[in-house]
Amino acid sequence: MVKIFIDDKELEVSNGLTILRAAEGAGIPIPHFCYHPAFAPEGSCRMCLVEISGLPKLELACSTVVREGMKILTASEKVIEARKAVLEFLLAEHPLDCPICDKAGECKLQDYFEEYGFFASRFKEAKEKREKKVQISKNLILDRERCILCTRCLRFLSEITKTQDVGVLNRGIHSEIAVYESNFIDNHYAGNLAELCPVGAITDTDFRFKTRAWFLVKKESICPMCSRGCNIFIDSHPGFARTPLAQRVYRIRARENQDINSFWICDFGRYHYSYIDQGRQERIVLKKEAKDTELSWEKALIILAEKVKSLVYLKKKSRIGVILNTWLTNEELYLADKVFKKGLGLENIYVVDPPSEKGDDFLLTEERTPNRRGLKEVGLPDLTPDLGKLALQTDLLLIFGTFLVGRFSVTELKSAFDKIGTKFLFAAHKSALDSLVDVVIPTPLIAEKGGSLTNVNGKVQSFSPALDNSLGLPEWKLLIDLAKELKINHKPFWQLSSPQAILEEMGRGIPFFK
Amino acid sequence: MEEKILTKDFGLKNLFKIKVYLQQGGYKAVKKALEQMRPAEILDEVKKANLRGRGGAGFPAGVKWGFVPQKTDKPKYLCVNADEGEPGTFKDRYIMSHNPHLLLEGVIIASFAVGIHSAFIYIRGEYEAVADRLEEAIAEAKADGFLGKNILEIGFDLEVVVHRGAGAYICGEETALLESLEGKSGHPRLKPPFPASIGLFQCPTVINNVETLANVPAIILNGADWFVKKGLPKDGGTRIFGVSGMVKNPGIYELPIGTNLRKIIFEAAGGMKDGKTLKAVIPGGMSAPILKADEIDLAMDFDSLVEAGSMLGSAAVIVIDQETPILEVLKAVSKFYSHESCGQCTPCRIGISWINKIVRRIASGQGEKDDVDAIICLAENIKGKTLCPLGDAAALPILSICRKFRQELEGQLSR
Amino acid sequence: MSPEYSELLRQRIAEVIARYPKKEAALLPVLHLVQRETGSISPEEEKFIAGILDLKPIKVREVVTFYTMILRQPLGKYHVQVCSNLSCTLLGAGTIIDYLKEKLGIEIGQTTPDKKFSLSTVECLGACEQAPCLMVNFDYYGNLDKERIDRILASLT
Repeated sequence: MVKIFIDDKELEVSNGLTILRAAEGAGIPIPHFCYHPAFAPEGSCRMCLVEISGLPKLELACSTVVREGMKILTASEKVIEARKAVLEFLLAEHPLDCPICDKAGECKLQDYFEEYGFFASRFKEAKEKREKKVQISKNLILDRERCILCTRCLRFLSEITKTQDVGVLNRGIHSEIAVYESNFIDNHYAGNLAELCPVGAITDTDFRFKTRAWFLVKKESICPMCSRGCNIFIDSHPGFARTPLAQRVYRIRARENQDINSFWICDFGRYHYSYIDQGRQERIVLKKEAKDTELSWEKALIILAEKVKSLVYLKKKSRIGVILNTWLTNEELYLADKVFKKGLGLENIYVVDPPSEKGDDFLLTEERTPNRRGLKEVGLPDLTPDLGKLALQTDLLLIFGTFLVGRFSVTELKSAFDKIGTKFLFAAHKSALDSLVDVVIPTPLIAEKGGSLTNVNGKVQSFSPALDNSLGLPEWKLLIDLAKELKINHKPFWQLSSPQAILEEMGRGIPFFK
Repeated sequence: MEEKILTKDFGLKNLFKIKVYLQQGGYKAVKKALEQMRPAEILDEVKKANLRGRGGAGFPAGVKWGFVPQKTDKPKYLCVNADEGEPGTFKDRYIMSHNPHLLLEGVIIASFAVGIHSAFIYIRGEYEAVADRLEEAIAEAKADGFLGKNILEIGFDLEVVVHRGAGAYICGEETALLESLEGKSGHPRLKPPFPASIGLFQCPTVINNVETLANVPAIILNGADWFVKKGLPKDGGTRIFGVSGMVKNPGIYELPIGTNLRKIIFEAAGGMKDGKTLKAVIPGGMSAPILKADEIDLAMDFDSLVEAGSMLGSAAVIVIDQETPILEVLKAVSKFYSHESCGQCTPCRIGISWINKIVRRIASGQGEKDDVDAIICLAENIKGKTLCPLGDAAALPILSICRKFRQELEGQLSR
Repeated sequence: MSPEYSELLRQRIAEVIARYPKKEAALLPVLHLVQRETGSISPEEEKFIAGILDLKPIKVREVVTFYTMILRQPLGKYHVQVCSNLSCTLLGAGTIIDYLKEKLGIEIGQTTPDKKFSLSTVECLGACEQAPCLMVNFDYYGNLDKERIDRILASLT
């Protein structure tokens, strides 16, 4: 530890820390463009210059390591003038097209200019003309007039993906970021670049011109697209009263978590968000002879409980089947275990998940579902059903999720389901299963509920709803209601009223979740 | 008045041939250093000689060598800075083309002293013929057992590679030179780490200017005391002053460090050309702040020039006459640095280009009344705030021109 | 390797690479060698060199576009490069440039229709004692005046 002084604040900080990190740790932000904690300091934007007592020149906060007794000034007149100078330089050659720039509202250049005083431009010369629409990857557009040459993109592609897709061409005022000919950035982490860019130089066609950043509500969540459990922000549009929006989610962004995903997410997780707003189940429906009847959950629950009870009473509980999936949270899988396996003593409990796909050696795992590890830790068996056998041995089937559709053909499913007396489907999305079952019960998605997930490395991460949910009750709630209705002998669970409470209860029984 | 160490045999025909060079006592210093001295002794001698870097910064060479770790698992490298891009400078070209073996001797002794087995001579791309001459000299030295494996049969190996640049002034900055040698654009590196610990290919590296190394053989042969006496106590030896511009006899003049600037111009170089009147002098290459005609009675050594608000730099003296509008000088300076900025850091990339745009506008007759103030303010915003010394190299002469010749410049403003 | 490059060039490239502890360090010398044979570094050459040095082509292009002596388009047989820096300007580089433009009938940055001469201005060539000076390909000519220019141009056939 060394003792330093930042703006008269006396601090004890670790050896080897840079001034910028030490200051940030003390709640003193130091403006910067090129510095990014994921990379070695670059020192090229010159925005983070600070004054150190006894030194004639200003020094870089991003690369200067603290020393015992160092006295650092981050807001002296000299420092503020230097910051203004950098901003004046950058803005001299900047197109100032904020009104049409997607970065507006979350642009460092804008933010700092606002902070350092809205000075008038002295630049009377002609700005350099540069290309404003250079495609550099499937989704990314580079605007060279907005680029401030911080080279964060270049360093990301050299140090993180190691693909070296971009370079800095030319020199001096003519320096520019470029890909080689039409060799677009071709790796499934490219989407990070639009986020990483401190200004509006790299924008994402997925987001470009769709809305303004300040209209978006930004909430934390966990990416469910594989078992890594990357931390994300879900940016959604609450809409205006005059235009109720069908589309809520406009963007998924990476959220820093050094234990899981550092600062990044893969493009698979970033761009596959349309499922949140599209094809959703909206009502509880009883399907009878080609006629749909809308039900309340109370009524559906009674029907379901009666079916279960009668089979149990007839000592035919072996003819009840349950198909789970690992998009269910730890809490939900735990309750499923308590209700179906331990409570009712059911044996035919299966799991059907999205099929595995090729992962990569960075974040994306083969398991394209977020909670397989949770399933294991809860202690539920990971059995895949044999559809033919299932059809013959089942009178009541409870299906969670729609992943059967990906595993079996609709013909296969139909011929099996025709043989099964009653089928309840708990699903977030419409699918081919809808017409094959008797009752459809809408459920929320991970983005819309709370709970926890266990990632591939056994890290349990809790999350809260990032979006409002008005479409259905979360599965954990449905399972508690069912347990109550069936009077399953685990009364304490009936009192559980939140995922947090369930997780605490789990921790008492399963050391892993403690 | 000439006290020659480096250029004393330049008059000889075919001095660049090893045969002629040996006849003049060539490679005696290498023999002495490798056969009779320990590396630490050589280092001490060079330190004592106060041999300061001749490239521009004037850092003591012995101290620089001493920064390289003795014990390391990594190879160590020597890079000879022969990029010589500083406008007004041409002395290294003379050394390399007239006396390449003198440089090689310096390279061998420095390498032996620091424990280096691989040296690169980074020479500016335009000097193709000079590079060829160096290659020939290396081949000759190798054939005579002064380079290659087991030099002088003492078990010391050294390979020297000539590496040609390709047109970028910034590669004379030592870390940009390293980047360039590694096959990249010449973007200077952040310091620290310094090249002595992390340099070429991430290994400990010494980088010395041609003239600096060419002084080493004489120091070894004659001793540090002798060398110091040739110059000043804190700044030993001679300097090769390259005089150009409006003088009668432009050329190189090897003179003791500390020689009076007026003497260099009016005696060594024969005074003003065609009876013209002196207006100003750039005393140390284009990056040195300008001196007015009445400011040239000063000793040409590092410290005296700093005191006079300029710098000795590469000791390239550019002489400007009264008839040359100062705007022409400002234009040349801003054009040059704008062209040579690597583009990496903000103030240099945009600031110098901005100044250059203003200067061009003034030159086209569109100058406005606050333009000189604007240039001064922009240059102040570049000074001391860039990643490498190029920012200062541009800002300091620009500031000096604007401040010392403000009236003349403002006379050029039309609006 | 692409067949259109000479055996000698390939041999020289291999020799040059062997001088460096890391292949990519040979990029500038290899660019010089290839340019000497081809006259310029087109995308074809960039890819050829990238292949030899195990570099991404963009890394080659970075270097090609950074250094002024690496040409992206072929120039005339004789590349006349006039120094326009301070010492040469003081001694009349401006007049020399104007005279060359007039004599060759081209502007700076242009090549004569017969592809014989290209005219450029360059920054300091490191020959200020001979100012004003110029370089034709790699040959230096100093102490220029109109008569000397006439003689130089006449000698270039």
